[in-house]
Amino acid sequence: MRHEHIETNSGLMILLILAVISIGGLVEIVPLFYINETIEKVEGVRPNTPLELRGRDIYIREGCYLCHSQQIRPFRDEWLRYGHYSLAAESQYDHPFQWGSKRTGPDLARLGGKYSNQWHVQHLKAPRSVVPQSIMPNYPWLLATNLDTSDVADRMRALRATGVPYSLTQAEYDANVKKFGQTVANQLDISQAQDNLLKEARDQNFDGIPGQVTEMEALVAYLQSLGTMVDFTQYNDDAFVKFR
Amino acid sequence: MFDWLQWFTHMEHSKPLALVLFFGAFCGVLIYVFTGKNRAKRLESYKYMPLDEEEPQRPELDGFARDDRRARIETNPIPQGDGQ
Amino acid sequence: MAQSSALPAEQYNYDIVRKFTIMAMVWAVLGMSVGVYIASELAWPFLNYDIPQLTFGRLRPVHTTLVIFGFGGSALFATSYYVVQRTCQARLAFPWLAEFTFWGWTGGVALGALTYVSGITQGREYAEFEWPLDIAITLVWVSYFAVYVETLRRRSQPHIYVANWFYLAFILAVALLHIFNNLAVPVSLTKSYSLFAGVQDAMTQWWYGHNAVGFFLTAAFLGMMYYFVPKQAGRPVYSYRLSIIHFWALIFLYMWAGGHHLHWTSLPDWVSTLAATFSIILLMPSWGGMINGIMTLSGAWDKLRSDPIMLFLITSLSFYGMSTFEGPLMSLKSVNALSHYTDWTVGHVHSGALGWVALVSFGSFYHLIPRLWDTKMYSEKLIYIHFWLATIGIVLYITSLWVAGIGQGLMLRSFDDYGNLAYTFIETVEFMHTPYVWRALGGAFFVAGVLVMVYNMAMTLRAAGRERVDEEARLAAKLAKA
Repeated sequence: MRHEHIETNSGLMILLILAVISIGGLVEIVPLFYINETIEKVEGVRPNTPLELRGRDIYIREGCYLCHSQQIRPFRDEWLRYGHYSLAAESQYDHPFQWGSKRTGPDLARLGGKYSNQWHVQHLKAPRSVVPQSIMPNYPWLLATNLDTSDVADRMRALRATGVPYSLTQAEYDANVKKFGQTVANQLDISQAQDNLLKEARDQNFDGIPGQVTEMEALVAYLQSLGTMVDFTQYNDDAFVKFR
Repeated sequence: MFDWLQWFTHMEHSKPLALVLFFGAFCGVLIYVFTGKNRAKRLESYKYMPLDEEEPQRPELDGFARDDRRARIETNPIPQGDGQ
Repeated sequence: MAQSSALPAEQYNYDIVRKFTIMAMVWAVLGMSVGVYIASELAWPFLNYDIPQLTFGRLRPVHTTLVIFGFGGSALFATSYYVVQRTCQARLAFPWLAEFTFWGWTGGVALGALTYVSGITQGREYAEFEWPLDIAITLVWVSYFAVYVETLRRRSQPHIYVANWFYLAFILAVALLHIFNNLAVPVSLTKSYSLFAGVQDAMTQWWYGHNAVGFFLTAAFLGMMYYFVPKQAGRPVYSYRLSIIHFWALIFLYMWAGGHHLHWTSLPDWVSTLAATFSIILLMPSWGGMINGIMTLSGAWDKLRSDPIMLFLITSLSFYGMSTFEGPLMSLKSVNALSHYTDWTVGHVHSGALGWVALVSFGSFYHLIPRLWDTKMYSEKLIYIHFWLATIGIVLYITSLWVAGIGQGLMLRSFDDYGNLAYTFIETVEFMHTPYVWRALGGAFFVAGVLVMVYNMAMTLRAAGRERVDEEARLAAKLAKA
């Protein structure tokens, strides 16, 4: 076999190129879908509620991931600044993942509960009014735009098709009750999606405007949920090491 | 006697095995490409391909219009009055 | 072909190459200007003006898409269509399909930019196109493949020249990456959710992301290098045998390296270790290619003094060598712990994108334009000016981001005497203001260079148009007399 055989035969060259470029991807990606050790078994991680889901859509729409990561690395400074390092389990329902690649602003993986709703609203509206040195854009339109809730069930249905356990049938609902408990299972019920969304907005009033569901409402709901699902006090420090 | 064959059946040896295979293939290609005088001459002969295209080489396109015009003006001074 | 009767009867389809060349320059001006604008937003946030469509988060994908797919993609279409015809001595196959690739690609990039500013995005870096555009792009790409391979098959040469191997690998790999990375379940025409989640999604995305660099921005531009450097130098490439080794090693190794974008994350350790290992080995074929390109000039180094186009090509290879050294360095886990998430990465990408991709394209275009329009370039001096504006711009850009990135990385990990964090996050943001200003200035220099090139090109095309009119008039006069 001479190299000339390849050089003079476009079909053979195409086949060989395909073979050579396929190996790397196959070896690195395919096992991730099969090896159980990829994702830790932890309690508490659940899919987003309908309101949080809409907030996440807005997070993606505005390109927040281009300046904020959601992935804490196992270093002392990151532990002090952001908290426990991120687990694969925590983003197992994230379609697409939002780990990010650049921290022009701080990591947000454990942002939930660190600031009040009121702080978030003010900060998103005018970041420099609370952090004078900030270079984040103002997002005043989030407060001025009502959230489109009409297609939230469609969105959940699409996510269900990718494998997120939002429930359509009674059997799926029962499985969710078993896995996440009654309260969460109700939130994951697609047939109740719009009602659940409005109820969560009414009860929590994330945007501070009673009787109105703005885009700000959804985004703050999402931000307040980040990193709050796993209770790390339940686990030994070494529990996750074997997964890394 | 053939016990050493057992080594290949263990999954945990797949990584060094793959490494040896890939590296072996790489060395094979390296030896193939860089040994043999005739092969060297043959392979290197293909590098002239872009230089002997059918279309004639056009070195005149390698100049620059503006510079040429300047050169033209310098060598042929503007004609002074043509009888008007 | 009445309108081109004054041109020498065209053996090859240059029309499509001209179109892509012009569009590449249009995208360069637009995409790089957006880049300067968003760089300025980081230095002076008031520039976001509270207008959703102007915010950094929405404009950043516009910048990356216009420069990578708009400018880079059009430059690759133009040069690959040119190179495949010339080295195969065959006219481009399926001209109508080639025409479709032009309108499809141009329309796709334009629509992509419009959808991003409207907030329609998949939220995957460098793959933000929503699913209808993804499908359209797939169609364009399949057509590109068909045109390219059929032209190869119609060659009147027994051999396929090495530049074409690189273009071919690029077309195949990008097809593979594009399809697998964009698998998604649609909600509506403007919204979809990716099929994969979390760690699998991250690995798929960076397998795509890194190989977009490896095949779109490297392998394909090496194809460009393998044709235009020998042509401009008037001598064959340094070693054909080195190009064989370098080709197969490069396309094999690149596909393993994506995981180095995910060091220290929830990705299993073995994947990122494997990726780091292959990233370091990757230095060898990368430098093999650089050496092959630069050494083509061996024995004719004086051309660097007399030929500004050669200056562009050789400088681009030097930047290629530099960034393919910096890349493996940054893929080491210990270095990555500092560099990741900082502007060092952004600077690294730009030393490759501006220094290598853009400069090699400009050099090739300066060689190409006179041949496409059958005339001389308007001005040599302007090419020199372009070269220096670009080089100063790149140097300003990457040094300021070294300062910003390494500085921020060091600040974030420093502790005071009591073991507390020495700096808050916002103090690092404050620190980065000055480097951000310099970075924006560097970008502005680079764009100024591109504008000089556009002017030079416009004057060349105008002269070409005039020459053609004169020629036609002369022909008509001759015919009238006869």
